[in-house]
Amino acid sequence: MLMDNLQSLRYFYPELTLIVAMLVVVIVDISFNRLRNVLNPLLTIAALLIAAYFTAYVNHGQEANLFLGMLALDSFAQFFKLFLLLAALLVVLGSLHSEELLQVHQGEFFALLLAVTLGMLLMANSINLAILYLSLELVSLTSYIMVGYLKGDRLSNEASLKYILFGAISTGSMLYGFSLIYGMTGSLNLYTIRDAFLSQGVQGFDQFTILLALVLTLAGFGFKTAAVPFHFWCPDVYAGAPTPVTAFLSVAPKAAGFAILVRFLFSGMTQTSGSEWGLVNGINWPLVLIGISVLTMTLGNIAALTQNNLKRMLAYSSIAHAGYILMGSVVLTGEGLKSMLIYMFVYLFMNLGAFLVVTIIYNSDRSFEIGDYHGMFKRAPFLTFAMGVFMLSLTGIPPFAGFLGKLYVFLAVIEKGLFWFAVVGTLNAAVAAFYYMRVIKAMVLEEGNGKTAPLHVSFLNQALLVALLIPNLILVVFWNPIERWTASSVKLFSGL
Amino acid sequence: MSMMLQFANVIVFLGVGVLFLSFSLLLSSLLRPSKYSEEKLIPYECGENPVGSPWIQFNIRFYVFALIFIIFDVEVAFLLPWAVVFKKLGLFAFVEGLIFIAILAVGLAYVWAKGDLQWVRPEERYGR
Amino acid sequence: MIPISYYLLLSAILFSIGVFGTMIKRNMVTIFMCIELMLNAVNLSFVAFARYHSLIDGQVFVFFVMAVAAAEAAVGLGIIVALFRNRQTLNVDEADLMKW
Repeated sequence: MLMDNLQSLRYFYPELTLIVAMLVVVIVDISFNRLRNVLNPLLTIAALLIAAYFTAYVNHGQEANLFLGMLALDSFAQFFKLFLLLAALLVVLGSLHSEELLQVHQGEFFALLLAVTLGMLLMANSINLAILYLSLELVSLTSYIMVGYLKGDRLSNEASLKYILFGAISTGSMLYGFSLIYGMTGSLNLYTIRDAFLSQGVQGFDQFTILLALVLTLAGFGFKTAAVPFHFWCPDVYAGAPTPVTAFLSVAPKAAGFAILVRFLFSGMTQTSGSEWGLVNGINWPLVLIGISVLTMTLGNIAALTQNNLKRMLAYSSIAHAGYILMGSVVLTGEGLKSMLIYMFVYLFMNLGAFLVVTIIYNSDRSFEIGDYHGMFKRAPFLTFAMGVFMLSLTGIPPFAGFLGKLYVFLAVIEKGLFWFAVVGTLNAAVAAFYYMRVIKAMVLEEGNGKTAPLHVSFLNQALLVALLIPNLILVVFWNPIERWTASSVKLFSGL
Repeated sequence: MSMMLQFANVIVFLGVGVLFLSFSLLLSSLLRPSKYSEEKLIPYECGENPVGSPWIQFNIRFYVFALIFIIFDVEVAFLLPWAVVFKKLGLFAFVEGLIFIAILAVGLAYVWAKGDLQWVRPEERYGR
Repeated sequence: MIPISYYLLLSAILFSIGVFGTMIKRNMVTIFMCIELMLNAVNLSFVAFARYHSLIDGQVFVFFVMAVAAAEAAVGLGIIVALFRNRQTLNVDEADLMKW
């Protein structure tokens, strides 16, 4: 069902809510000098909740092509929208008591966060190259500012400079790829592009041009998902940005990047029937993706082994996790996609949890060095327990949620007969266990360095820790709803 | 091939231009007397002797104004196509355009309230 | 009429100059100018293709690219100004607090 602009607005409530809230936050920030620090977080949280309500209940089960085929409203987009809104909400709550952000003016932060969230929702929806580019840039530009939010901090400056340089160059390449695709097919709509490729047979096009266009385009998506070899910005940006921003970047834009990658590869580029990747003869596309995935997780895990700065270690670990998520995209089945979504869902809770602990410890100790975590067990037992759960979950040890994600990804790969790929993934998980255990060892076993005063954790942060712990502890038992939800979300691609 | 012939005009024009310029420069260098002095080598600035290097750091405010200008400059690029089809689309397009401008106006108001439209910023009234 | 391959060749050359510039230049502002060059190469090829297919959406895309490029330049310059205030240099090689 194709809808014109006015009709589409009725299905656009979540995004409209965010736009209005963003403007209101800006206005409140300049007009209420006293109340703004109370009003803005409340407004942001309310807007995210309302948008989630619209997505989950009002738009539930609706399928339509909005704005004359610019955006697709479907169950796949709906999963990502809810996921991204949840991530944004958790990050807002986690940033409220962050000493790093309290040093600077806060109103803009919430407006920027709403803008990023808006961009990510549009990314999950878009089926047109123009809107895909616009939403991707909305996410990128605002995240450059958020990374450099601590204006006086040299690390933050440097991180945002590196981010914008890498980002601008890779989106430039992506655009050049888009222009070649547009030139070959005469359309910006992903479905029309696929039809054009299929109707003329891929052989009808110059193979080299298709290859060039795809490589350039994938450079842009690779940048957003921080896949090797487009990962160089990732550790520096994550280490330099304010910790709540790092937590946000490591989960939400990455997930949105995977959403567009899946849409681009599955609905735009491949044939609907069978498991053939119809593009460019002589190149084994699944093998290329397998290569990227293996390189991404291996490099991430090995580089993480030598890090002493916890933020940097988690940055490399998030590169590795992007590799695991990519595993699911290789197999071109509904099962593979489902495993990607499940992995992302559990990754949200464990990674945000780990970063929240880092934020809390920085609040009182002003350090990200693993050496300063020594003896934390005596000072803050609950915090140490929580960090232990998050670390074990990130490793993928059975009773915790991270195991569920890895299980589904490996199962999808094995079902396709790629045993060695699953073995590589498992070996990587074993390597990862080393550095995750190192954190636990530092916090529990090592002697403290003089500091014995109990670490202060604000009530809000304690509640948030509990909220993030619960999914990590119970998801393995209550996996059924997640499984059903993700299965229905990938119905769209199940013909594959 | 006919297109190549069209380009021939351009090439002839280029050639004539280069020849004419080099001929006149050569002629004047042959005719003029050449006496160099200290004064002739300093840059001319209304008869004043220049003080210091021109490579100084400009006030950072220039950049801020230029950035704000660029945003509104680009806005016009979107309003032009809007204006072209304005009559055909009627009230709906009018309202859409107003919303677009209103969003930008909020941005301008923000810059104004922050004091970034003044040459010397009021002393951190709104905090940073 | 000039065949489309000429435009595409020019666009490819501009794009390559831009990419090389971002790699070999060390001044932040120059790097941003090279990025603008890349984007303008994209614009050229979009306009050429839009004319070739007699479609309008390629030209609309160019509008968006220009607007986003302006916004990107604004953000980029803001970041450069913040960096310059803290370090008094525009050389990217000196932004090396974080490695590995």
